[in-house]
Amino acid sequence: MWGDSLLIVFISICTAFLGEGLTWILVYRTEKYQKLKVEVERQSKKLEKRKEAHGDSLDKQHKKKIEREEERLKNNNRDLSLVKMKSMFAIGFAFTALLSMFNSIFDGRVVAKLPFYPISWIQGLSHRNLPGDDYTDCSFIFLYILCTMSIRQNIQKLLGFAPSRAASKQGGALFAAPPAQFK
Amino acid sequence: MLSKNKSSDSLTKSKVTECVWKKAFSSSTEWPDKEEFLDVIYWMRQAIGIALGLCWGILPLKGFIGLLLFVIVNAAVIYFYVNNFQSVDEEEFGGMWEITKEGFMTSFAGFLVTWIIMYTGLHGSNIL
Repeated sequence: MWGDSLLIVFISICTAFLGEGLTWILVYRTEKYQKLKVEVERQSKKLEKRKEAHGDSLDKQHKKKIEREEERLKNNNRDLSLVKMKSMFAIGFAFTALLSMFNSIFDGRVVAKLPFYPISWIQGLSHRNLPGDDYTDCSFIFLYILCTMSIRQNIQKLLGFAPSRAASKQGGALFAAPPAQFK
Repeated sequence: MLSKNKSSDSLTKSKVTECVWKKAFSSSTEWPDKEEFLDVIYWMRQAIGIALGLCWGILPLKGFIGLLLFVIVNAAVIYFYVNNFQSVDEEEFGGMWEITKEGFMTSFAGFLVTWIIMYTGLHGSNIL
């Protein structure tokens, strides 16, 4: 059983590198992406600074400037996600195929023993396709998802492919409701 | 020319990393670059997650108490590091909540993986 769990960790490390490698070939190394990324980061930082400096002021001119910059950032962010999207689809398909292959290999096999009793809505995942009623038995998919969650993001951060905090903060804010002061 | 540039780039990178290590382990350091400090918090969290996972697996700690203890220890270490060791103004980073959130989910996933694997390897066969 230990061998299986270690194998799953190894598999998720490999798939994380493969995923990042493929994304690098299809997206990260392209000039368009690099340009947009630099632009989005620069704009996000600028906007954050501006908001910090004039956040509380009710000056109309500043408000307008901030709104204009937000609009520009929004457009750039949209372009950036469009550049990413095509390759994400391709990689998504490839990984779904890989996942279903691994799923069939580990089908019905207990790969690990959970040191805790999972809550009911996780049991469907942690006990997927496993025989018996012992819910501390762990299925392949649960361990794989956990491994991917931790390993993929860390690899992205190590390789410097993770989006910067300012950009993700501004990006997230763009989809949320506008703050009261800008209404 | 290009290789020269590359080698000088990697040299400055390693110097920066060294500098960050020094800053992270010396108390009350100035952090002009917010990203740098948040990165230190992030990687610290990951290390804590894996270390706690190893400990909980070896002991072995079981059940909800293991999860709860992880959350408490993880938050407490970061809180102590930020407030007492580095004494930074948390408002500069968007409040304590922003710092507490930084890298938490990744660290939690890393913790669960190491805990489950250690527990399976050392104690799983006794149960089966």
